[in-house]
Amino acid sequence: MTVLRNNARVLRYAFTSAMADMRATYTWKSWTFAWLARILCQVTLFALIGKLLGSPEQVEYLVVGNSVFIVADIVMMVCATTAWERLAGTLPLLVSCPSTPFVVFAGRSVQWLVDGLACSTVSLLLLAPVLGVSLPLGAALTAVPMIAVISVSVYFFGLTLAGLALRVMKARNLVGRLGSIGLMVLTGVQVPVTFWPVPVQYMSNVLPLTHGLHAVREHLHGAPLPRVLALLSLEVAVGTAWTVIAFFTYRRLVNSGRHDGTIEFGG
Amino acid sequence: MIALFWASVRFQLQVLRRSPDYLMAVVTIPLLAIAFLAIMKNAGRADLAPYAVLGSTLMTVWATALFVSGELIESERTQGTLEGVLAAPVQYQVLVLGRISIVTVLSFFGLAESIVVAWLVFGYLIAVPHLGLLLLTLLCTAFAMVGTASIMAGLFVLARSARIFQNSLSYPFYVLGGTVVPIALLPGWLQPVSKIVFLSWASDLLRDCLAPTPPRDVLFRLTMILVLGAVAFAIGHLLTKKILRRVRQTGSAGYA
Repeated sequence: MTVLRNNARVLRYAFTSAMADMRATYTWKSWTFAWLARILCQVTLFALIGKLLGSPEQVEYLVVGNSVFIVADIVMMVCATTAWERLAGTLPLLVSCPSTPFVVFAGRSVQWLVDGLACSTVSLLLLAPVLGVSLPLGAALTAVPMIAVISVSVYFFGLTLAGLALRVMKARNLVGRLGSIGLMVLTGVQVPVTFWPVPVQYMSNVLPLTHGLHAVREHLHGAPLPRVLALLSLEVAVGTAWTVIAFFTYRRLVNSGRHDGTIEFGG
Repeated sequence: MIALFWASVRFQLQVLRRSPDYLMAVVTIPLLAIAFLAIMKNAGRADLAPYAVLGSTLMTVWATALFVSGELIESERTQGTLEGVLAAPVQYQVLVLGRISIVTVLSFFGLAESIVVAWLVFGYLIAVPHLGLLLLTLLCTAFAMVGTASIMAGLFVLARSARIFQNSLSYPFYVLGGTVVPIALLPGWLQPVSKIVFLSWASDLLRDCLAPTPPRDVLFRLTMILVLGAVAFAIGHLLTKKILRRVRQTGSAGYA
């Protein structure tokens, strides 16, 4: 019980720190007029591609896919922000403290969950109608909690990649970008997963976002609740698996770093 | 000044060997191309494959210019060397331009990668019927890209966080610049705005270079890219001069 309470306390402080980072990066004006505007342009670009293809169905597929993908794209910034910890020289302190570094890192970048969910929601609820995609309002509103589930599963996938980025600091942005574009290509954002060869589909099925996005699409098309919940459960299962992988990634990082002296100040 | 430019190019080449992040374009262009090509193929529009190839290239080259111009300021700040660089008796703009130019030029090799990816992954053979003009347009585009990046480099010194600009100046310009979708498909009120973005002229002409019919008004369109690039250079130069004077006066160049 004490361990749980302590971890909850660490998570709370990590969350506070994450939100302080967010406030240091954005003011409400720069978030709204620079960041959110950029995100909406991202979805608009793909809607225009749908228009270029001359198909309203494609426009809808791309707008929904990219609106939901926004949350993943933003959450993948966890790779960069986790790596900042090493640049700031605080990694040795985190390793030597009595808490588990994984718990700290798990809470340290949650600002992207809040940011991603906000941007994704605005895109789905407000931008989609502007782009000529009429989604049933009730279903669009109830899709928001589903996007929240997706954000968490992507977060732990990103956290795993961040654990790798901490080992190759000079490629930290590259690792995050590759993870993000990989999700965009393979998880049914732009084309159905079935478009790809079967071996690639296997990979898609163990990536976060695939089943969650499928669930959102089915939900928006009025699929029965059990079907939607089944897909969402798959997303939760994938997210849980990535959480376990992330936990072991950080444990190995800490253990091997202690062993070979690579948990250095500076980075 | 020319010696300084080449010295900064050589310096950036050294940095590139140790920092793969700067050459992210080489890895991301083919992946973006796959995403766009998949959309085109899924919709049965093989004819739009050149749009996907060029779009992914232009987007990534723009993103790289943004990333480099922002990242080098951020890293100088993090290391506490920005004040030293600004105090050195050389022109800061030339130093930055040399570093941005080499990364921008190298990132254009992503176009060749995209063409190979289109062939290997999707079996699309992208013909280049106007190769000479394509290379000339790419050269002019690189010039305008570096000019535009020089404006950003100045703004990044002034900004509290360069990352806001880095992250925010991408997709609005991909849309306005007609990188994947021609600006003719944008709402009418937005099209005049697109005309002052050099990317819109560059992407249109590059697409025409991949079309079988000979491009029209070539001289005018190339001139527009160069003029907009030159204007960007001039704005970048004046802006950076003004900004550097200001941060020197206020002592706000570094984090401390």
